[in-house]
Amino acid sequence: MHAEAHPAGVHPEPTSFLRRYIFSTDHKVIAKQFLWAGLVFLAVGGSLAMMIRWQWAFPGRPVPLFGIFLSRSGGVITPATYQSIFTMHGLIMIFFAITPVMIGCFGNFTIPLMIGAQDMAFPKLNMLSFWTFVISLILITASFFVQLGTAAAGWTTYAPLSTQIGTPGAGQTLVVAAIFVTGAATIMGAINYVTTVIRLRSPGMTYMRMPLTVWGLWLTAILNVLFVPVLGAAALLLFLDRVFGTQFFIAGAAGVKGGGDPILFQHLFWIFGHPEVYILILPAWGFISDIIPFFARKPAYWYRGSVFAMVAVTVLSAVVYGHHMFLTGMNPLLGKGFMTLTLIISIPAEILFLNWLHTLWKGSNRFPSPMLFALGTVFVFGLGGLTGLYLGTIATDLYLHDTMWVVGHFHLTMAAAAFLGSFAAIYFWFPKMFGRRMNEGLAKLHFWTSAVFITLVFCGQLVAGYAGQQRRLYDPYQYTFLSHLLPLNRWTSYFAFALGISQFVFVYNFLSSLVAGEKAEQNPWQVGTLEWTLCPSPPPHYNYATPPVVIRGPHEFANPDVIKALGRDWIGQTEPMPKVAAAAIKPAAGGAKD
Amino acid sequence: MTAMGEVLPYRPPRAREETTAFLGMVVFLGSWAMMFAALFFAYGFVRTRSVAWPPPDLPGLPWETPAINTLVLAASSAAIQYGLRVIRQGASPKLGRALLLTVLLGAVFLALQVSVWTRLYVEGLRPETGGAYGSVFWGLTCFHALHVLVGLIGVGLLTRRAFAGAFSAAKYLPVRLWALYWHFVGAVWALMFVLVFLL
Amino acid sequence: MEAAGQMKIIVGIKQEIRASAVAAVLVLSNSALAAVQPESGLGLPRDASQNGHLVDWLMNITSVFNIILFTIMCVWMGWACLKHNRNHPAEYDPGSSKHSVTIALAVSAFIFAIVDGNLFVNSINDLDREYWNFEKVAANPKTVRLEINAHQWAWDARYAGPDGKFNTEDDIVTWNEIKVPVGAPIYVELTSTDVIHSFYLPNFRAKMDAIPGQVNRFWFQAKETGDYDIGCAQHCGTHHYKMKALLSVVSPEEYKTWAAEASALAKRAFDPEDTAAHWGWDWKEL
Ligand code: HEA
Ligand code: HEA
Ligand code: CUA
Ligand SMILES: [Cu+2]
Repeated sequence: MHAEAHPAGVHPEPTSFLRRYIFSTDHKVIAKQFLWAGLVFLAVGGSLAMMIRWQWAFPGRPVPLFGIFLSRSGGVITPATYQSIFTMHGLIMIFFAITPVMIGCFGNFTIPLMIGAQDMAFPKLNMLSFWTFVISLILITASFFVQLGTAAAGWTTYAPLSTQIGTPGAGQTLVVAAIFVTGAATIMGAINYVTTVIRLRSPGMTYMRMPLTVWGLWLTAILNVLFVPVLGAAALLLFLDRVFGTQFFIAGAAGVKGGGDPILFQHLFWIFGHPEVYILILPAWGFISDIIPFFARKPAYWYRGSVFAMVAVTVLSAVVYGHHMFLTGMNPLLGKGFMTLTLIISIPAEILFLNWLHTLWKGSNRFPSPMLFALGTVFVFGLGGLTGLYLGTIATDLYLHDTMWVVGHFHLTMAAAAFLGSFAAIYFWFPKMFGRRMNEGLAKLHFWTSAVFITLVFCGQLVAGYAGQQRRLYDPYQYTFLSHLLPLNRWTSYFAFALGISQFVFVYNFLSSLVAGEKAEQNPWQVGTLEWTLCPSPPPHYNYATPPVVIRGPHEFANPDVIKALGRDWIGQTEPMPKVAAAAIKPAAGGAKD
Repeated sequence: MTAMGEVLPYRPPRAREETTAFLGMVVFLGSWAMMFAALFFAYGFVRTRSVAWPPPDLPGLPWETPAINTLVLAASSAAIQYGLRVIRQGASPKLGRALLLTVLLGAVFLALQVSVWTRLYVEGLRPETGGAYGSVFWGLTCFHALHVLVGLIGVGLLTRRAFAGAFSAAKYLPVRLWALYWHFVGAVWALMFVLVFLL
Repeated sequence: MEAAGQMKIIVGIKQEIRASAVAAVLVLSNSALAAVQPESGLGLPRDASQNGHLVDWLMNITSVFNIILFTIMCVWMGWACLKHNRNHPAEYDPGSSKHSVTIALAVSAFIFAIVDGNLFVNSINDLDREYWNFEKVAANPKTVRLEINAHQWAWDARYAGPDGKFNTEDDIVTWNEIKVPVGAPIYVELTSTDVIHSFYLPNFRAKMDAIPGQVNRFWFQAKETGDYDIGCAQHCGTHHYKMKALLSVVSPEEYKTWAAEASALAKRAFDPEDTAAHWGWDWKEL
């Protein structure tokens, strides 16, 4: 019935294939487009990771399978190729895999549905955002096929290595352009998210009744709006340096007339770069902060605390970026300042952690795949976060900076926490997105293999870092003090290969469930948020024919009155409390009293 | 629209729609402001670290033409603002003329910029040989000029629609949005004039 | 025309490498004998420095704290998952009561105070007393001053020589090998001529970026003689992984005799024409 009612100002559902599936302005379709793009490039980035691991396990030996891409060198990874591999692995994973899946896909899918809106505030801009993103994908892909190969200056693209001096050739230039373009796409999306949450919340959906998923994604969008432009500026100046021979980042012997300053690039990059790392974790925090109470069948513990913690992290993330530059000879006072602020960030993180643990405590925990992935996320993020403390402290960073410790730290936080968090979201919303269930058995298999191997791989990296191994080494064993690490790295690689292979369980499950998965009912998880209680699976065009009127928070579980009145342990956000017990309503989760 | 009767209007009334669009524009400009902030930060950074600014053998930046240009942009901002005033009273042709004036002044700005560029170029200030000094000058001014150009195209199209009577006292959102954008571009220039050309 | 500019730069760098190579041949006849002892086990590389143990201690004590924290966390999580499963009725507790909020805040504050507090205090002390305490080093008469110039993909080192002045004809210039006396602070100023590198002494827990257009400094002090790896920690191009050098720590006597010979050699080999070889700068004492 929803479909034929076209409320004021909204257009009827398009009928032509092109407008409906390709150039669609429907946030749900755009979400799926981002999901596909993201997963494909996740596979690409993952394959590159496998090549890195191969090189460290069997230096200089022809790479099986992927060798065909290295025909010029007889299947062997050369030092020149190696730098391109880790550079593109990092860039692709961050900008073209995790970002589109977490923000592009779930930002688009969940925000309007969970706040009771019919679509984004600016549907056309939303479509434009995706197609701009596609342009950047084309640029990235093209960069692999030009002379001298693709970018090779590391994902951090430090100048002057990233200027013509260090990496001549069109590849690096194309990648810099791609970063600028994808930045533009991200900003368009973020403008949409920010505005949508501020303006299109349905009646009664106060900020303190928003699901934490929406909170996470909204704060992410705010960070994107504020700091991606800074990356844009950095990319722009670097582009000028490369193409028009300006001298923003070139100094020293190479600099003409005094030249510019390489450190300037690091400032610009990290002013963006540090918020970016929280951009990659805030959505995951949001997902699991909802999923944990959903399957603990218990109100989210101290909802407001979690909200405040996320807000605090968002604010702090803007003022700690200097911790990436402790060894650039920065003013000691400044350095100590950044160190202090960095350490302070662990307070909100701990509050979030405690809230998750308290939510589980005395719950009635169930363990379907989304819950498993959420718990896995908590586990690896704990490891990742704690290893960040050694880096935030200057004295220890003197030793650990630019070692594998850093690599282990950020893989545990984003490659593990954000990665597993994304899968938690995929398994949780798949039924709503596609109207089918994924195979639970395979999902659990995917979880256990992924969780175990991902922990082993990235702890392997930590150990190598503790032993002093630098990052980005084509052949670590050149160094006598690292020569004994071959067995360690080889084992880490075996675990990595196992991790890679276990992802095929997901690929198979995902694809087969799309076509043959059992039909999903409206609310398979028995939870109270709008998209599950009011929309069929999948939701119709324009989601809701009439604005849902929200009367309580998103995690109203185990409320005795509800159980007495309805005989179930949950109640929808719009569901009026049945007369029977209406008399004695206690304050609900998430400060529903607002 | 006819089938609408039963379901209560979901999408909010136009007034609310417009505020949403306006907010979107504000968010966008806020974001873009960060980009220019970053560019100015870059400028300040290289400048404070440089030995001589400008380097002895390079021409200093003129202030006269840019000063005039600041006034030109200010005038064009006033013009588009006037356009907004009159369209609120529903005077569509007046709006057309106001927008036309805005575009013309914008064009004058670009023309004067070109004159400044050519002059400095022949005097030997080149992007590739000017060091950080030349880089900042060329990078910032050209990037800003690009925004002016976009503004010209946008406002130009508005002008056509205005003369075609597309706007009324009840419906002039695009004018509001472009006016905001145009003020932003002007403000950025004013800042650039003070920081890059005067200091 | 921009390409031409780039070419000049490339050529410039090339000359540099050649020049320093020459210097190296002159000074380092004995580098062949050098041998670094491999490490063993998965722990830290052995500590050959006089103050590295501070870093080691701080890392290890933090690990102890973190392991305790993380174990608590896991036990808590595991217990909740096993005991409070679907058969356990969920408790209706939004956790927003004054009482539970104070507990959450108190626990976080406690963890923060212990773990981060310890890191903060000790880090500040270590920096002020040791790693960033250049006054102490500058005041010490035994201090050996070194200028290091990094370039793709090698380390040039410059000793002031008898006259104590840098960039004079008696400077000792070495290539990919640095000889230092045991027990004396080594005060290093370093820069780079092309891209950013990072001078890394794993066995001394010391590291500092070498950045074109700016001079950074750090210091270290060996507590025992021997040969150690010098690494490059910042990605600097294709052969980043090969940008390694040798640090040989010798007895003060051996160092003295070596320095005397080397500077004499250097004086003879000094070539005023070869400007690329005169990359040194006046020492920037504070
Ligand atoms: C999702 C991404 C993400 C996240 C969330 C974080 C989180 C943190 N990061 Fe990380 N970081 C990166 C991604 C991330 N980082 C990346 C990509 C890099 C490298 C970039 C590059 O150089 O290539 C990096 C590098 C990096 C550096 C620079 C290292 C160097 O180059 O020398 C530093 C230094 O301070 C740092 C610190 C921190 C800190 C203090 C946190 C804090 O937010 C952590 C806070 C969390 C906790 C403190 C743990 C939670 C609390 C508990 C588990 C206790 C709970 C227990 C009980 C309640 C019982 N990070
Ligand atoms: C979110 C970002 C992210 C993610 C997910 C990963 C994932 C992985 N990374 Fe990555 N890594 C980075 C970000 C990330 N990494 C960054 C920023 C760097 C620094 C680069 C630099 O130094 O400049 C880096 C560097 C880096 C290094 C160091 C290289 C060096 O310093 O020389 C190593 C080495 O072990 C490594 C390994 C791995 C491994 C084994 C994985 C594994 O987790 C990969 C497992 C995943 C897969 C195998 C993909 C599976 C595919 C699918 C599930 C898609 C399904 C497809 C369809 C449905 C079509 N990474
Ligand atoms: Cu020099 Cu890496
Ligand atoms: Cu950071």
